[in-house]
Order: sequence, then C-alpha cells, then structure tokens
Amino acid sequence: MLRAEHLSKTYVTTDWSGFLKRKKSKVEAVRDVSLEMRGGQIIGLLGINGAGKTTTIKMLSTLLQPTSGSIDVDGLDGVRDAIEIKKRINMIAGGERMIYWRLTARENLWYYGQLYGIDNKQLAQRIERLLGMVGLAEKQDIPVERFSKGMKQRLQIARGLINDPGYIFMDEPTLGLDAAIAKELRGYVKDLACKEGKSILLTTHYIQEVEELCEYVYVMDKGTVIAQGTPKELALLGMENKVLCVELHENHERLHRSLTEACQSAERNCSIIWDGKNMAYTITSSKDLSSTVAKVLLEQQAVFKKFYGQEPGLEDAIIKLSRRDKDGFFYEGTEGRDEKTA
Amino acid sequence: MHCRTLYATFRRNFIIQLRAYPKDFFIGNVLSAIYTAVSAFFMYHLLFNGQMKDSFAGYAGTGDYISYVIIGNCMYLFMVRTLLNVSRSLITELREGTLESLMLAPFRRVQYFLGNMLQQTVTTSGEVAVMLLVCLPFGVRFSGFNGLAALIGLALALVSYFSLSLLLAALMLYTRDTYISQNTLFAILFLICGVTFPVQYLPGPVQWLSQGIPVTISLDIIRNSTLGGMTAAAQIGSYVRIAALSAVYCIAGFLMIKKVESAALEKIFG
Repeated sequence: MLRAEHLSKTYVTTDWSGFLKRKKSKVEAVRDVSLEMRGGQIIGLLGINGAGKTTTIKMLSTLLQPTSGSIDVDGLDGVRDAIEIKKRINMIAGGERMIYWRLTARENLWYYGQLYGIDNKQLAQRIERLLGMVGLAEKQDIPVERFSKGMKQRLQIARGLINDPGYIFMDEPTLGLDAAIAKELRGYVKDLACKEGKSILLTTHYIQEVEELCEYVYVMDKGTVIAQGTPKELALLGMENKVLCVELHENHERLHRSLTEACQSAERNCSIIWDGKNMAYTITSSKDLSSTVAKVLLEQQAVFKKFYGQEPGLEDAIIKLSRRDKDGFFYEGTEGRDEKTA
Repeated sequence: MHCRTLYATFRRNFIIQLRAYPKDFFIGNVLSAIYTAVSAFFMYHLLFNGQMKDSFAGYAGTGDYISYVIIGNCMYLFMVRTLLNVSRSLITELREGTLESLMLAPFRRVQYFLGNMLQQTVTTSGEVAVMLLVCLPFGVRFSGFNGLAALIGLALALVSYFSLSLLLAALMLYTRDTYISQNTLFAILFLICGVTFPVQYLPGPVQWLSQGIPVTISLDIIRNSTLGGMTAAAQIGSYVRIAALSAVYCIAGFLMIKKVESAALEKIFG
C-alpha cells in the first residue's frame, strides 16, 4: 500500500528586481495532502490547472522531496528509501516525452530496462510481452520519430511498465490523443488494475475518464485536497438543486399555468423554463418536485415524451468545489486559472 | 561490479549519434582538422617566418611549433568533447523530455556519466586520428615518441577532463544554461592552459592559476611523451599531480552534483 500523510511542498523562488537586487519568496504548491493507494485500485486526482496535482505526483514518485509530511510505500520511507521505492513505481505522462525519438521501440525499452538493472533474459521476455500488449510488436525496429502520436503513447505505457511497478502514476496519459486511441488506452489502464493488480493514480482533465475508470477520487485546489469520495458521491456534492425535465409532444396552454402554480406553491423560489423550440420544461428547485409535477401532468392529461430528473455531473461538481473558498463561498475571479480546461 | 548503466548509455549514445549525423559528422571532423593544420602552418611560415624565439624551445621542450600546436589542438578536442558530452548530458535529457523518466530509474550516476564519456572518447579518437593524418603533410612529427608514457598520459588526461566536466555539469544543471557556461570555460582554458603556446609566456598569477587546472598538466605530459621523448618513469611527478588534481575535482564535482540535483529538479519540475 502507498500512503501519503500531510504532504506539503514549498518552493523558494528568486525574483531579480535589479541587476544585483534579488527578492526571495515562498510558494506553497501543496499543503497537507493525505492519500492512499491500494493494489488493483484506480485513484483519480482531479483539480483545475495549478491545483497542485503534478507536484503531488512528483513527490509520490520520488522526483521531488516533500517539505514536510511522509510517504510510505510498502513500509519503505519515501525519502530515505527512494532508490528502493524507484524499483516499485513508475510514471506515464501525456504528450510525447519520456522516450528517445532516435531509438526504436525495442531499444527504448532495452535502455530503460538496463537502468532498472533487470536481468537480461527476463528483460528480453518482458520487452516481447509489453510490445505485444501495446500492439507495437510489428513496429519494434522503427525509430520512434517515425511513430504517430498514438504509437508513441502506447510505447510510453510499455516504458512505464518495464520495471513491473506495483504503483503507476499517470499524468494526463490521454492528452492530445484522438477518441479511438484514448478509448484503447483506457482499456489498457483498466486491465492493468483489474487483471494485473496494479495500483494507479490518474490525473486527467477528461471527466469521462474518471467516471469510467476511477473508484475513488481526490479533488485538489490551491494545493490542498478539498473533497474526496467515489465519483458518484462527489457528483452529488456539486448538485445543489434538483433539476426535472419534461418533454411534451405538443404545446399545452393549461398545463403551463397549472405547472407554474403547483410548483411555486410547493417551492416559492423554484424556476420553470419553457423551451418552445424543443417543447420542454426545465424545473429547478431546492426541493424534489417530481411528485408535484407528476400529479399536474396526470390532472391535465398531458401527453409527454419524457419526464426525468437530471443526473448530477462530476464535472460541475469539480468546477463548483474548486471555486469555493475555505469558508464555503464561491469566488468570481479566475486569477492563475485556465477556465477552458477546468 | 555490474556496469550495465555504463554499457547501456555507451550503446544508446552510439546508436543516436550514428542515426543523427552519419555523414555531416565525418565531413565536419575532416574540415576542422584541415583548418587546424593550415592555420598552424601559415602562422609558422608566414607570420613567424619559420623562426621561433629561443625561449620557445626552452619552455616547450621542442622547437617544432607545428607539432606543438597540433598536439595541443588534438588534446583540446578531447577536452572539449568530454566536457561537452558529460556536462551537457543531463541538460540534453531535459531538453529531449527524457530527464523525468531517467530520474525515475534507480541508476548509478557515475556509470551514466562514464558511459557518456567513453562513447565520446571513442568517437573523438577517430577524429584525432583523421586530424593527425591530415596534418602529416603539413609537417607534424612525433620526434620523441614514448608509447607507454603517452598511453598513461592519455588515460590520466581523460580522467582529468572527466572530473572537470562533473563540476561543469553541476554548474550547467543549476543555471540550466549550457551556452554561456561552456563557451566561457572553453575560451578560458584555451587561453591559459597552453594549447597553442607555453604557459610561461602568461603573467605570473595566470600561470599559477593554470597549474591548478589539470588540462595544463595533461598537455605537458602528452607533449613530453610524444615530442620530448620522456619516459613514464621520468614523468611520475606529473602523473601524481594530475591524478591528485583529478581526484579533488572529481570529489568536488560529485558532491556538487548531488547537492545541485535536488535543487535543480525543484526548479525544473516545480
């Protein structure tokens, strides 16, 4: 098991305000983060840009030393036993980094295998297996620079598995890939956890990936974990109002009046929006008005196509959670954040 | 001791070099050899009119200026290539996007740097061989050649260049700069270490400084073994001095790299 407790990371930055004048300042990138990873589990680490996800992963993978807090990997200390821990972990990042473009797929895996000190016979077998697993067996002797983006990413996965790690950190592994390849890669990730019992920590901006793969999610903002739970539990946190949708076959004058009266008498501040083009009502309320709406539909003998409650979305939850300050208030500013990718 | 990181890095660099610059590299080497030989030849015959001051032979241990310069340039090439390849190795990994994956692995740093150096030494030996062949018609002569002394001298010279490159590697990694640090150092070393003229012509304090740099001693050893005909036994003192200086630079370099590495990783990944 990997357990991180009260991890913090503070960077000291130097700003030169003149030729010789310099000013040192501290930036707290991660503050008091605790998390756990167990075998066969896929854990999500979510948050908007600059939330501290990558710094957390770098600390867990021994690339950065925490300023305070502890990391325990199968009973080994994250700082003192870093060399031993390196043998049990690996990282797979998105983009086209972490592989040598002038080497072939086989040469890349061979080189990394040597750095990990894997026995030559065992390494040869592992390279065969990994190249077959990621579908690069036929292309193993072609230099990586001639690979497509998807092929490079598949090789990245093979590289990340060369030391047969128990814990894998995946930093946006499907970044920039088309839908078909991203789906294929999600399949690999699922298999790694389910069939091979690997423990995976996944950061991604694609919520669909989290909903499909992760059984537990940590949401980070401003360097700290602001929420955690299963994707369903987190989605409910973002759902502050109940939303009901009614789609009709035709316009129904009387229904509109009755529905408005009934809903507003049940919940004064509810909102009823009529979309004439799609002939649909969207009723938003802090209370569950489904029985009230159903009663009106029956009374007015309205023929409807669909009547359903809108499912809470994880994406909305993350955006809402990330905009809330420690006292529970939302803020409007977007300083230092990329709203488009949030 | 398993040297798998050393061998793997050596092999990796060879493959990359062969795929990256197959012909241009060879042409570049031949051209630089011709340039070195021609410039020494013209300087000696047109500028100096084939005459050197009496003090030159006294300081250099030979009156053969062309051989003196060409041997100096050959060793300078070994030094530049070793420093470039070893010092820039981690920065190159950073630029190619492989530093993270490299640092994730539990490899031995010394083997990694040695692998980089050995590959470069083999390549540079080829270049130097070409350079010497091209220079033969211009008058390069090994008037007093002692094979054993030269071989020991070359081995010690390479160790000293390696130790110097560790210090430069720490500096480059910390500043994340290769251009200013490497080129400044090369210019200083070319000027004060006796590549093209004896260090005795330099002002006193600069001479004192140059004796603290192993490159100066390595040039003396190689010239004494190829032009001066000195035996290995006669040069024991120089061997000990260069070995001691290399050890100091090597220990300082590794200590600095160890300290700088974590700070640099914070700068890079933070």
